[in-house]
Amino acid sequence: MLACTRLCSRTIFSAFRTSPVAAVGQLQRGLSTQTDGEERIASILKEKFPLASKLKVVDISGGCGAMYEVHIESSEFKGKRTVQQHQLVNQALKEEIQGMHGLRIFTDIPK
Amino acid sequence: MRAASARFLCAATDLQKDLGEMVKKDKVVVFMKGTPGQPMCGFSNAVAQILRMHGVDHYASYNVLEDQELREGVKVFSNWPTIPQVYFNGEFVGGCDILLQMHQNGDLVEELKKLGIRSALLDAEKESK
Repeated sequence: MLACTRLCSRTIFSAFRTSPVAAVGQLQRGLSTQTDGEERIASILKEKFPLASKLKVVDISGGCGAMYEVHIESSEFKGKRTVQQHQLVNQALKEEIQGMHGLRIFTDIPK
Repeated sequence: MRAASARFLCAATDLQKDLGEMVKKDKVVVFMKGTPGQPMCGFSNAVAQILRMHGVDHYASYNVLEDQELREGVKVFSNWPTIPQVYFNGEFVGGCDILLQMHQNGDLVEELKKLGIRSALLDAEKESK
């Protein structure tokens, strides 16, 4: 199973292989503060999911604002199938998504 | 001018109707960038690879890069902003993230079973034992 995950991750990120500069930028950014885009998206999600216990927004396009990863844990997702949970996030970020190339969503329910 | 917009609206509405039929016509339907043999995006590639891993070789796939109307229309139809999009038995399953999650937690094997498709991974497990 782990090998499969690695394979999938490799293929997903193969699109980024052509941009080593972005990859280095990504490493450097690990030590710096959030981008404007990350902050904006995080604040929208905080507003739309007031009960969220965990929230993380990461620009995975090397700071270009083209692709984001959203991790959100909230009791508001209880009882909903994953696709419905993701739909809620999609609805919340409807405007922002227009300007994105892609979005990865990871939702969770607090234990 | 009005006739042109009416015609445009008609085409868009026709597409929505067509999509309704397209997603029901086959058990597994994927709207992706590129083709299963030659995906043109990392996320579409991931979906194609996962399905291949489970031995799902025959499924309907539609390349949204070949048809701009389809590319926009399917987002409206599914009320989902990104590609790829996966349908099982006419029901929207999700995109790459969801399919990946289902693959990792074993749900995909179950869902394929419901479609009458036996996942190749079940046979692979048997062989290793």
